[in-house]
Amino acid sequence: MGERGRKHAMLEIKNLHASVEGREILRGVDLTVRAGEVHAIMGPNGSGKSTLAQVLGGHPAYTVAEGSVLFEGKDLLAMKPEDRAREGVFVAFQYPVAIRGITNAYFLRSAVNAIRKHRGEEELGPVEFMDRLEDKLRVIGWDSSYLSRPVNEGFSGGEKKRNEILQMAVLEPKLAILDETDSGLDIDALKTVAHTVDKLRRPDNATVLVTHYYRILTHIAPDFVHVLSDGRIVKSGGKDLALELEEKGYDWIREGAAVA
Amino acid sequence: MRDENQLHAAVVELVALDNATIKYSTIQNWYPGDEEGRGGIYNFVTKRGKCLGKDSKISWTQVETGSAITWKYPGCILQGDNSIGEFYSVAVTNQRQQADTGTKMIHIGKNTRSTIVSKGISAGRGQNTYRGLVKILKGAEHARNYSQCDSMLIGDQCGAHTFPYIDVRNSTAIMEHEASTSKIGEDQIFYCKQRGLSAEDAVGMIVNGFCREVFKELPMEFAVEAQRLLGISLEGSVG
Ligand SMILES: Nc1ncnc2c1ncn2[C@@H]1O[C@H](COP(=O)(O)OP(=O)(O)O)[C@@H](O)[C@H]1O
Ligand SMILES: [Mg+2]
Repeated sequence: MGERGRKHAMLEIKNLHASVEGREILRGVDLTVRAGEVHAIMGPNGSGKSTLAQVLGGHPAYTVAEGSVLFEGKDLLAMKPEDRAREGVFVAFQYPVAIRGITNAYFLRSAVNAIRKHRGEEELGPVEFMDRLEDKLRVIGWDSSYLSRPVNEGFSGGEKKRNEILQMAVLEPKLAILDETDSGLDIDALKTVAHTVDKLRRPDNATVLVTHYYRILTHIAPDFVHVLSDGRIVKSGGKDLALELEEKGYDWIREGAAVA
Repeated sequence: MRDENQLHAAVVELVALDNATIKYSTIQNWYPGDEEGRGGIYNFVTKRGKCLGKDSKISWTQVETGSAITWKYPGCILQGDNSIGEFYSVAVTNQRQQADTGTKMIHIGKNTRSTIVSKGISAGRGQNTYRGLVKILKGAEHARNYSQCDSMLIGDQCGAHTFPYIDVRNSTAIMEHEASTSKIGEDQIFYCKQRGLSAEDAVGMIVNGFCREVFKELPMEFAVEAQRLLGISLEGSVG
């Protein structure tokens, strides 16, 4: 890991404690993600995976009691949610919400332009924007009819997940946190999504894949696999750990953690 | 001490003869008064339309964002056979504003049809009331009405009220009424913010989407103006 040591951290989470409705869910999370890396976070239901994603995005329902999060050396927790997004943090939600009456195209263009404005770049007009969108649509296997539909309204579970990936492809974040984007996808959709995520990998961006299943990791090889249990990362390893989890489940780790 | 308010009391009457169509669109942004509800216009308006001829049509579209108090019920008397009445409305109240608005659709002729789409948005301490009457008279064979009244609440100090009166005297009538009340969602706003939009742009987008069915009835330039005004009246309503 000599090379890893030399690259400075993109995301540095230290001793993060967070609660929702007065209940502590994250109980001391430590995680360091460097540019170019893919991290998988696995763990049983209710262990706090989505909570971690929401806290990093800045959802107002969650309060941080302790710990720190640095994103490219800046205090992420001090930033407003929209500024985190504009700086390049993207969360693909486990349950994306619908916005009635607003087309996917308009929503996407507004998001792109908010981010461009933040960077001091010129905003894109509808025609210019559509030109750039075409490639991205092709990659996720969609035709343009999806652009004129209201955001996620009447979308199937799988379509919503694909839409999150389309947004990610268009916004080109530095750090993408994908919260169970692979759940509820059929095999073909999973392949498309995995392929898209893999295609977007660059030496200067990073991906945190929250997942329940081993199968997506056969398409996107993670550099690190972490197990979140009861609000803490109780085990970390390489991609072999995912295979071990697939075979043995989580209980052996939880027991191990209790002993240690 | 005395309060200063101005009164606006307009009267509009429309008559549509055989095969005529009248489309009447209004955007209203009178002074709403200050945060404490001091000052502002009292907007008490009479608007009525008569579809006198066969196959005539009157369509009212309104976007009410201003005034301290609005009372306004543009109506249609559907007298000619096959005549059509429409009412599309967006009413926004913020701070201490009150809007009490709706329509009257009086079906007299045969095969008369009416459509009502009302969107009320309440923020701050604003109060929004939909008050409407659909009346199907005895001779109005095969009359149809479709009504949709949606309310959106922003914050927890505002109110939405709906009073739909339906009076049907002919058994061949077909009536449909849908109503909904929703609170603007924290999750929706967060979703928009996580994609880089400011709080104000997020609220503007969600509210504009909510009003889409009405805005699409407006002439193009009006629709652009209406969206802008909506943003202005909701300024500061969400942190
Ligand atoms: N908004 C919320 N309100 C109340 N409880 C919540 C909320 N979000 C998460 N929780 C609770 O926090 C715990 C962890 O949930 P979550 O982070 O969604 O787990 P995971 O994604 O690992 O399945 C669960 O017990 C869940 O019920
Ligand atoms: Mg989850």
